[in-house]
Amino acid sequence: MPDLITFSRNRSVSVDQVDPKTMRSSCRLQDSLIDAFVEMTVGLPDLEITNVSCKVRRTHLKQCRDQEDCLQKVIGTRVGPGMLKIIQGLLGEATDCRQLIFMVEECCHGIILSFTKDMLALAPQGKELAVEDCKKMVVDNIRLYNRCAAFAPGSSIVEGIEPP
Amino acid sequence: MLKFKRDKLVTIVEKENTLAAHGVLDDDIYSLELDVVFSMSDLEILSIKGRWHRWTTPECPRSDQFLQEAVGFKVRDADFSRKVHKIISRKACRHYANLLLECGHSANEAMQVIQYRAALAENPELSFEAFLNDTPAPVTAKTEITPINDIAPDTDSTEKADSAAKPANADTGHDPSEDFFIDLHVHTSPASPCSSAPVDDLIKEARRIGLNGICLTDHNHVWQADEVEELRRKHNFLVLRGNEITTEQGDMLVFGLEKDIKGIINLEDLYKEVRKADAFMIMAHPFRGFLIFGAGQVGLTPKKAMERPLFKLVDGIEIMNGKVTEKENNFAAQVASGLGLPVTGGSDAHEVEEVGKYATCFPGVIRDEKDLLAALKAGTYSPVAFKKRNR
Repeated sequence: MPDLITFSRNRSVSVDQVDPKTMRSSCRLQDSLIDAFVEMTVGLPDLEITNVSCKVRRTHLKQCRDQEDCLQKVIGTRVGPGMLKIIQGLLGEATDCRQLIFMVEECCHGIILSFTKDMLALAPQGKELAVEDCKKMVVDNIRLYNRCAAFAPGSSIVEGIEPP
Repeated sequence: MLKFKRDKLVTIVEKENTLAAHGVLDDDIYSLELDVVFSMSDLEILSIKGRWHRWTTPECPRSDQFLQEAVGFKVRDADFSRKVHKIISRKACRHYANLLLECGHSANEAMQVIQYRAALAENPELSFEAFLNDTPAPVTAKTEITPINDIAPDTDSTEKADSAAKPANADTGHDPSEDFFIDLHVHTSPASPCSSAPVDDLIKEARRIGLNGICLTDHNHVWQADEVEELRRKHNFLVLRGNEITTEQGDMLVFGLEKDIKGIINLEDLYKEVRKADAFMIMAHPFRGFLIFGAGQVGLTPKKAMERPLFKLVDGIEIMNGKVTEKENNFAAQVASGLGLPVTGGSDAHEVEEVGKYATCFPGVIRDEKDLLAALKAGTYSPVAFKKRNR
């Protein structure tokens, strides 16, 4: 038998700027078991979730049906460090559909990454950040130290930087 | 206009008692792939290989080697997600971790499809829906979720509060005319799962560097008064109790509240509990992560930040926190100053050597939790960069 796919998943997150004070992030998930869509708006400058909605178009799981209102508890939560614990805590009781919870998290990550992209766009096009630029980033935000392989001892980026 | 887009694709193919997952993550910033092989019997990771196509820093590709630490992880273990976050995200790269979780979850769903096919061979009438909803779901990498507002009964709080108010070393031997330094924000292991600082080691270090006391503020954990009493006796050092409670608006340091609050509580509900108990609530690291992108990028100014309704519900603001950037601490100080709220400092230590980075300086001796609460309410204290000052 040829190597037919047993399971396939496609997840897409997109972020757009609705107006100077509002961003919108949406996550579409389509896989062999579910087709769902989550959308949220985030207010600036506080980065607080101001609205959230979801639609489950196809699912075989009863815990993921009729979940339109279950995400409302995250309204007011700030997108930023510590958000995963808050989102999981708030939504864990509101729904057993863990896919929807994960989609909310993905929407939030999308918002953060959109700002990261803005920051990276300041570097010359087509070039990775120079070691010195990265060093400055770690010095300015020491929380990055040892956050991943690139910022861990042994990496040229953190050479000469005193651990926090 | 679209500001950012991320696409992820995962496919699972069954191959000789294993599941081969191929994952692709492609977004405006990063592009990477993972090939992961899982055993079908218990969804254990047998092999993993990553490839970068686009990245940001010159050292991002270093992460490939650390992926091997995921070999042996089992998707159905309750702590699968936690381990991926803690080990792969931290040691390798969080984008690899994100894609690995996606591959793991997909492998788990694929097993349901495979098991359904087997069940269908025995019962051709069985629908997929009936199979899924009538078969107990496998224990999978479900996020460890804690209940909301799970407030345990307030057992023996008066008795405990009274005993806690009488430390063994009530006479601190401290000159009352001298300043009194307490690190108001420390985490210990195992009370805070994110900390690796055993309480005894932390106290010894606090003593060694010259602090006058520490306040245990473990996450949603109430220390028993007799345990703390024992620690005071053992180390002849002032150990006090607080609690760092997570609300939907962020973390709050609470002093004088005996209730054991689990999970996430709504800030207004916590405010009511604090008022009822005549306790004291300080907003911890209020702008942690706010300024990562630069305040201008999100249009945040101290004046705008002061308008956040949450500041009406707190009694003070932590403006020196050891886990945030200097910019974020300075921003918090500007906001607190604008609002006229009392300000504190604490290390937020999660490792022994971090204790005392910042502390709060009180004008007189603090002997016990009653003294601390009274002093906090008096508002005559200030945060200090304790370690720097004592170098």
